[in-house]
Amino acid sequence: MTLLLEGGRLLCPDTGLDRVADLMVVDGRIDAIGAFDLDPSSDVRRVDCAGMVVAPSLVDLSAELCDPGRTWLEDLESGAAAAAAGGFSTVLMSPRTDPVVQDAATVRELVARSSASPIDLRVAGALTVDLAGHQLAEVGLMIEAGAAALSDGGRVISDSMVVRHAMLYAARLGRPLLLRPGEPVLEGGVMHEGAVSTLIGMRGVPASAEVIGVARLTALALETGAPVHITGVTTAQGLALLRHARAQGAPVTASVSAHHALLTDQAIADSGYDPSTRLSPPLRSEADRRAVVEALRDGTLDALHSAHAPRNRVDKELEFALATPGAVGLETALSEAVEGLGDLGLALAVLSARPARVLGLERRIAAGSPAELVILDASARTTATPERFFSKCRNTPIAGLELPVVVQGTLSEGRLVYARS
Amino acid sequence: MSGTAGGITKRKDLLGLRGVAADEITHILDTAEKFRAVSERRIKKVPTLRGRTVVNLFFEASTRTKTSFDLAAKRLSADGVSISASTSAAKKGETLMDTARNINAMAPDLVVIRHSYAGAAHMLARAFPFSVINAGDGINEHPTQALLDMLTMRRRFGRLEGLTVAIVGDVYHSRVARSNLHGLTTMGARVLLAGPGTMCRDGMASLGTPDAPVEVRHSIDEVLEEADVVMMLRIQRERLAPAMLASSREYSRLYGLDMDRLKRAGEGTLVMHPGPINRGVEMSPDVADHHSQSAIMEQVTNGVAVRMALMYLLLEGESDDATA
Repeated sequence: MTLLLEGGRLLCPDTGLDRVADLMVVDGRIDAIGAFDLDPSSDVRRVDCAGMVVAPSLVDLSAELCDPGRTWLEDLESGAAAAAAGGFSTVLMSPRTDPVVQDAATVRELVARSSASPIDLRVAGALTVDLAGHQLAEVGLMIEAGAAALSDGGRVISDSMVVRHAMLYAARLGRPLLLRPGEPVLEGGVMHEGAVSTLIGMRGVPASAEVIGVARLTALALETGAPVHITGVTTAQGLALLRHARAQGAPVTASVSAHHALLTDQAIADSGYDPSTRLSPPLRSEADRRAVVEALRDGTLDALHSAHAPRNRVDKELEFALATPGAVGLETALSEAVEGLGDLGLALAVLSARPARVLGLERRIAAGSPAELVILDASARTTATPERFFSKCRNTPIAGLELPVVVQGTLSEGRLVYARS
Repeated sequence: MSGTAGGITKRKDLLGLRGVAADEITHILDTAEKFRAVSERRIKKVPTLRGRTVVNLFFEASTRTKTSFDLAAKRLSADGVSISASTSAAKKGETLMDTARNINAMAPDLVVIRHSYAGAAHMLARAFPFSVINAGDGINEHPTQALLDMLTMRRRFGRLEGLTVAIVGDVYHSRVARSNLHGLTTMGARVLLAGPGTMCRDGMASLGTPDAPVEVRHSIDEVLEEADVVMMLRIQRERLAPAMLASSREYSRLYGLDMDRLKRAGEGTLVMHPGPINRGVEMSPDVADHHSQSAIMEQVTNGVAVRMALMYLLLEGESDDATA
């Protein structure tokens, strides 16, 4: 199958490519870049990309697709549709399902079902049984069955002995360990502890909880050599420690949700305690948000992830402190990133090539590379409208915000898996 | 929340004192002053809210506040019901929103809610047409308590602007302190805070303004020297996390108000407490009962007047003399 993307601005943060040209896709790969004069009778499918940006498609390191077990919230189909609409063509699925993805049979089944998906869905297996942080799950067998990564599912493992042994054990298995930094005994609060929590009277989670978590993960990664990916470093203090640890040679990569690049704890006050602004880790201060942007720029943070966490009214139509944390993110991550970072090239890099590298993939526009591409209208702005989401859930902290960039199309393995109109 | 400009008549709810303007607070206090007289009559009832329905929805235990709202509604001739629900209702099944939907179906005019989580009142106010008064949400706000405190201070000193008010004790967990901080700073008072480091954190100073600073001090003796009013807070054992306090004995030595300290503060210092008092912990019994300097019972009396004023202002707005 052959496809010609005509006249788009090809923008590839990885190679530095930035020019208007045609891009020819043949059999799932980028065949050539240049100017093509097709015979009108040619059966090559032509896609007019004039005025659009054509960039490598996005890679997500952390999305809950709730399948198996809570498919009224999301499933592989709706999750893939939401991802494609957001410009993602690879998504690593969190093991936070019901039951938890913690054995080879479940991994095998998910891998088989994912192969029918229009996009590349990858399975992360649980690092510990029931994500409880005590007993190592059968991580070796899950990797044999096709798991692309191992994960704590966003539930902090606070037992340093378990973390250390899990790292020693998994270091030989050649797959990244996705771990969230935190210290649960300090995390009884419901939002970031700071001026806003003081003002609006809510119990806070101090930044020190995250710093202690970053210290635990980086110290143990340095000692064990395990390939650790830290998910959700959100505070200036946590990022400072991460920067230091990476300079010491800790074998870690790290990411943070796109929400944290755009929003702050002020959103909780402004929304009048709207539970859709309750996230885990919580939205932080403006100073922290700026530190996140800086860390993405200087490479302390490799990537942004969607932190896609579908919740419905049962989870969210509650008092703020009782509501389940989390927000959907696949469909809005790119717009949030561009708005938060104020830099399209950087936003694309931290959502495509850089997270791809964590999974051992590549995202680039070059002859011979896989045709994983996104077509964007970078000059358009659009209002976040949950009612139009492909996701089954509507829980977003950015409803009604006008943000830049509209995804017009997404290509996975050379096929157009999403087209806006 | 409805608008704050141009007096309270346009306001649907009172969720907190954060963001409520000085002229509006003054107007509430002036109105409460008028309603205070109703409770001093032999026939303590006016027809102001005849035919209106007030629901008290209390998810936390309360004696003083619930009775005060009850009496306020009755003295305004409103029909009132009080519901005491366990905080664990959400875990048992029905959510707060579902409870509120049912109440809404019975067409109340005003719902007074006390709840253990911040923002509960805001959630109802946003979702339903009835007016909402926040009677305490978690550690966030308890605006009617702060208004009755301010009424008490204003009656004693004739003003709020320029007063120095010390708040001593567990400021962190106190919605009373937080509402007072918002209200007093708006009215131009200076607030001094003192208490253990776990309960009175330096960050509270950020609630101050250049004209009405909030200062965090380390000892009670330091704030007593300067204060016109000293507001003692209850140690809320039910809210304490591990290691927040050493012992009651140490607390009362370091932060309790006893007669010696009160004498050193001087005769002009007014003692207040939102109740219930832990006698012998934050306050010695003789101080609590010291009639010339303690305004604790006066606070309770003023509470009914403030709540009558708010019910009237939220439900009726301005009209003719409501106290006749």
